[in-house]
Amino acid sequence: MSVVARTPERTTLVRAVCVREWREAIGNKLLVGMTLLPPVVILGTGVLAVAAAAINPPSERDIQALYSAAPAVRGLDPVDAVQGFIATYFLILFMLIPTVVPLTMAIYSVIGEKSMRTLEPLLATPVGVGDLLFAKSLASTVPSVIVTWTAYAFYLTSVVLLGSRAAVNAVTAPRWVLAILVMVPLLTLLSVNLGILISTRVNDVRVAQQIGGLVVVPVVAIGIAQVTGRVVLDNGAFLQMTTVLIVLDLAVFWLAKIAFQRENILVRWR
Amino acid sequence: MNAHRLDPMGIALRTEKLTKRFDRLVAVDGIDLEVREGEVFGFLGPNGAGKTTTLRLVCALIAPTSGTAEVAGYRLGVDDAKIRAAVGILTEQPGLYERQSAWENLVFYATLYGLPTAVAAKQAERYLRLMGLWERRQEPTATFSRGMKQKMAIARAALHEPRILFLDEPTTGLDPDAAKTVRDFIVALRGEGRTVFLCTHNLDEADRLCDRIAFFRHKVIRIDSPDELRAELYGRATEIRLLPAPRPEDLARVRAVAGVREARFENGSIIVASTDPLRTNPLLVRALVEGGAEIAYVTERRARLEDVYLRIVEEVVEGGEAPLGPPR
Repeated sequence: MSVVARTPERTTLVRAVCVREWREAIGNKLLVGMTLLPPVVILGTGVLAVAAAAINPPSERDIQALYSAAPAVRGLDPVDAVQGFIATYFLILFMLIPTVVPLTMAIYSVIGEKSMRTLEPLLATPVGVGDLLFAKSLASTVPSVIVTWTAYAFYLTSVVLLGSRAAVNAVTAPRWVLAILVMVPLLTLLSVNLGILISTRVNDVRVAQQIGGLVVVPVVAIGIAQVTGRVVLDNGAFLQMTTVLIVLDLAVFWLAKIAFQRENILVRWR
Repeated sequence: MNAHRLDPMGIALRTEKLTKRFDRLVAVDGIDLEVREGEVFGFLGPNGAGKTTTLRLVCALIAPTSGTAEVAGYRLGVDDAKIRAAVGILTEQPGLYERQSAWENLVFYATLYGLPTAVAAKQAERYLRLMGLWERRQEPTATFSRGMKQKMAIARAALHEPRILFLDEPTTGLDPDAAKTVRDFIVALRGEGRTVFLCTHNLDEADRLCDRIAFFRHKVIRIDSPDELRAELYGRATEIRLLPAPRPEDLARVRAVAGVREARFENGSIIVASTDPLRTNPLLVRALVEGGAEIAYVTERRARLEDVYLRIVEEVVEGGEAPLGPPR
């Protein structure tokens, strides 16, 4: 049997890197915990909140506050309106999952390699660093997207079973389904590449997480603006946000690619 | 082994004025090197001499500032991926994925070297057996000793049967048993005609393993075989043990013999450096016996490579360069 080393096919490389990183992640209980905790908390709280709204009728004060924050629900049955509002509010929180979950994994993926000194032998192979970066991005992106979609699927099922007509309409609104399908992967990619970029400059996972955690700020800001009625998340707003995310994703990946060069990694990374 | 049978007269590695600067620091200063196929080439120098940078340059991990190199028949800067496929490198740190098993580590790397699944598995098994790690293949490498990790790293470097194997301090920190396994492995590679480029501070190891040695400090100071370096710098020495201890008149008699370059007392013996010991030694014995000396034994005295290293270092320092640090 002859042994001829060569650059592996891109799909082979991506599969090998993903499988290795996932094995590594599964073996790291802290990482698994930090990955699963946010979706479990958001999902659990969301389902409980929708269920609680059905059991406990809102007070007159709550209803007035809701009508002033969301004029569109005026005319609906108060219980339906509150359930619909809560269901929508938690959909915004679902957008936090792709910013938090992959960040930890992406940071471990680079800082872990730095601390274990595994980067030099890895870079000594005939793989291209761009392909390696892409494979690493994908290794963190795929589980996060799957976790978010799975959590959304559970949420959707729970709301259909427990919620009012207005709540079901809110969570199955085409713009929210599209947001979950399109914006979740885009937000995940942004978070992953930001995590990789930050990891090239720092060696401490906690510091990287603190810096990377800033990525949730715009999502939280949009959520607050929507809850307080300052922003209406209509189709146009979703389209604008998607465009901005695509541009940001490309820019951050480009920056990560510049930082992720063989010589930079071996000589300048500390 | 699936080794390439190489032309022993061929050149595995050739550098031409290869230079690497980091801002103002010149780490590698225009080196011209030729490493022959099938030889074990020692690369010796103090800490901070630029050895690791040189390794990274010729393994196409970093780009030269100027100059070029041909590695395993490929041009640096043109065929970098092919160079990385054709060489194997043992880095200073083993750098293993410690949560993963020995088997998973090797199969992962075999995949990155483009080996098909069946070949990858076969090569992983072959090298795990060769390094005596087969029985522990399913264990996470975090549970391995320093020596086992180093053997794993060597297995990883050799897994894809590279034409040139670059080994950076392969036996540092290993117990004698593990170090012997590694040295035997290097000898086996040479037996197969594989080229080994060995960076080491272990001068005894370099002496035993290397066909040629380069003394290096940012630039190549000297290249030759260990025997030639010793012979040139110290001549060929003979140790003559006398009973009882040698007297000053014995030393004078020795010095008077034709062909003797230098003679001195050392630990109750006379050490004699001569140009041709085969011709000089019988004359020495006769002169001492005629002078009434009792000879216990006469033996060849080989200068240690460490003496050669220190002497060359001394020359560099006297030549006006900054003093060198001690070997690690």
